[in-house]
Amino acid sequence: MNNDKMKWTDIGVVAFMYIVCGVFYYKAVHLNEEIQSYPKFTIILLFGLTTLYLLQILLAAKKNGVESGVDKVFKGFQPAQFFVSLAAVVAYVLLINFLGFYLATALFLIGLLLYLKVPYLHTAIAVAVILALVYFAFARFLGVKLPKGLIFKLLR
Amino acid sequence: MLETLGMMGAGFLNALTPINLLMMAAGVSMGIIIGCMPGLSAAMGVALMLPLTFTMKAETGLIVLGAIYCGAIFGGSISAILIHTPGTPASAATAIEGYQMTLQGKAGKALFTACYASFWGGLLSCISLYFFAPLLGKLTLKFMSAEYFWLSIFGLTIIAGVAGKSLLKGLMSGALGLLISTIGMDPLYGYDRFTFGVDYLSDGINVTAALIGLFSMSQVFILAEKKITERARAAKVNDKMSLSREERKVIRPTIVRSWLIGNIVGILPGAGASIACFLGYNTAKQFSKSKGLFGKGSIEGVAGSEAANNAVTGGSLIPTLTLGIPGESVTAVLMGGLIIQGLTPGPELFGKYAPMTYTFFAGFVLVQFFMLGIGLLGCRGFAQISRLSDAILIPCVSVLCVIGSYAIHRNMVDVYIMLIFGVLGYLMRKLDLNTAAVVLALILGPIGEKNLLKALTISGGSIGILFQSVVSWVLIALCVVGILSPIFMAKMEKKAEADAVSGTDEDVEVLTEEDSV
Repeated sequence: MNNDKMKWTDIGVVAFMYIVCGVFYYKAVHLNEEIQSYPKFTIILLFGLTTLYLLQILLAAKKNGVESGVDKVFKGFQPAQFFVSLAAVVAYVLLINFLGFYLATALFLIGLLLYLKVPYLHTAIAVAVILALVYFAFARFLGVKLPKGLIFKLLR
Repeated sequence: MLETLGMMGAGFLNALTPINLLMMAAGVSMGIIIGCMPGLSAAMGVALMLPLTFTMKAETGLIVLGAIYCGAIFGGSISAILIHTPGTPASAATAIEGYQMTLQGKAGKALFTACYASFWGGLLSCISLYFFAPLLGKLTLKFMSAEYFWLSIFGLTIIAGVAGKSLLKGLMSGALGLLISTIGMDPLYGYDRFTFGVDYLSDGINVTAALIGLFSMSQVFILAEKKITERARAAKVNDKMSLSREERKVIRPTIVRSWLIGNIVGILPGAGASIACFLGYNTAKQFSKSKGLFGKGSIEGVAGSEAANNAVTGGSLIPTLTLGIPGESVTAVLMGGLIIQGLTPGPELFGKYAPMTYTFFAGFVLVQFFMLGIGLLGCRGFAQISRLSDAILIPCVSVLCVIGSYAIHRNMVDVYIMLIFGVLGYLMRKLDLNTAAVVLALILGPIGEKNLLKALTISGGSIGILFQSVVSWVLIALCVVGILSPIFMAKMEKKAEADAVSGTDEDVEVLTEEDSV
């Protein structure tokens, strides 16, 4: 911390920890009295450490000034690529329930690989390899029953 | 003594079954592939493969995880030598000399040295695993609830050790993990806590799902945020992959020194292969008769770094298996695998479950031979795999994370938990918080809580019971050392790194610890 400036992103960290402490504390006081002590201890521990950290960064702000921090933390950040990938993963997880595992996986892989500009041939190979791996390693070897999807249940 | 020797022999016989041998080969290959791909790490690989071991026998499952661990640590050297980018931070020092050798057309020699030194480093580390682990395991027989409580606290102070730039942020991450570990049923009275109306959470947060999210899914997001560029083409290996008798003689003392260094670093909580490789490299430089070759392609430099980072593997298993204290992220994931198999680290592993433990140890020895064979035969192929684009890795690893977390209980809730921890892990890594600390707290939190409550119940609520025995006081002292250790570790790592780079005009793309997890 010697020459470090306070970063606004650190305030974000502090705020997040305080929110977590607040939510858990609210829930903890509604717990049965017999079981409150240990959770409260962990909340106080997190609260105390976060407060110490807040003091540390405030001291750094006083000594060295303040900077955004966002430019450093997200240096080279590709917003479109990141958010499309994130949304695709979330959509994939949600679609598994409806389309079943194999169809949702194939759609997710094809969609995201093509979006990330992977050539058609490489896309086809990747989809085939992953589906085969899932089938042989998980469905056959481990005997995992993969979700079949609501849509197929309704169609039957 | 005879009994131990007998169990060691039986362990080898059990480890030599076809299924175990097949799994060793598969695990090592998988580990090397993961290790040689910059951006993927040993912890991530072990976390991803964890669900595949559920239905295996405990010893086979552990052998697979150990094989991935060893393979990944060695695999990092392939891309370090051929494309000047260490696959894992553990090979950062290897890149300094290894790539220089590649530029001189000695890539084959560099790869052979890395493989040979890794083999000996790993193999020799098994000696300490065989001899120290049972001794330490027996020591824990004297532990009661109070001592186990302090032991878990000691484990938690290691969080400070694995913390990145800020000690406080590491401790905050650990405290957050402790808080998350309270989700679920109270261990004494059975009441639900913090389940937020989700019945499934009564059993607590599934550690494996959290592990996959924190280590693997978060890495997908890290890859997705960066501009995808084509990786450098791996240099061709035109020379012979071998060392002359004279050269082997030269690197022999280096390997022995690096083995000792790597082993000690591995046993020390909070230190890891990334520190060991630089310490091994520097020691090789200090003792070398041809110091002038360092920075220009020295086989001693490659051997020093690689023997040290692989010697960490056996050493780091000692505190994990005996005390239940994983000193770094990979062993934390390995311990998760142990717990999933229904095993508790400690004396039981060397008593009731001794056959399983000695089979795992024997498997760990045999894994080193597989690493040598597969490493030497497959180097060229693995080098091509290391060029696999992030554009392919992002969707493929995502699918493996989803199927891996689903396979735990055949339940989509674990997938949602994995995804939540993936996003949490991504944000934590971006903000310099420590995901390994959360994992350690998730594992050790319930152990500490259970033993604290047990001790307090025995004493009728008096906390004096926590300070009664000598062992408790020793553990308290170790906790203080645990908190202070990162200050020394950071200094040691900085010095070793500075010493390694000084005198060379290298521009190695050194991966940070955050990149690695």
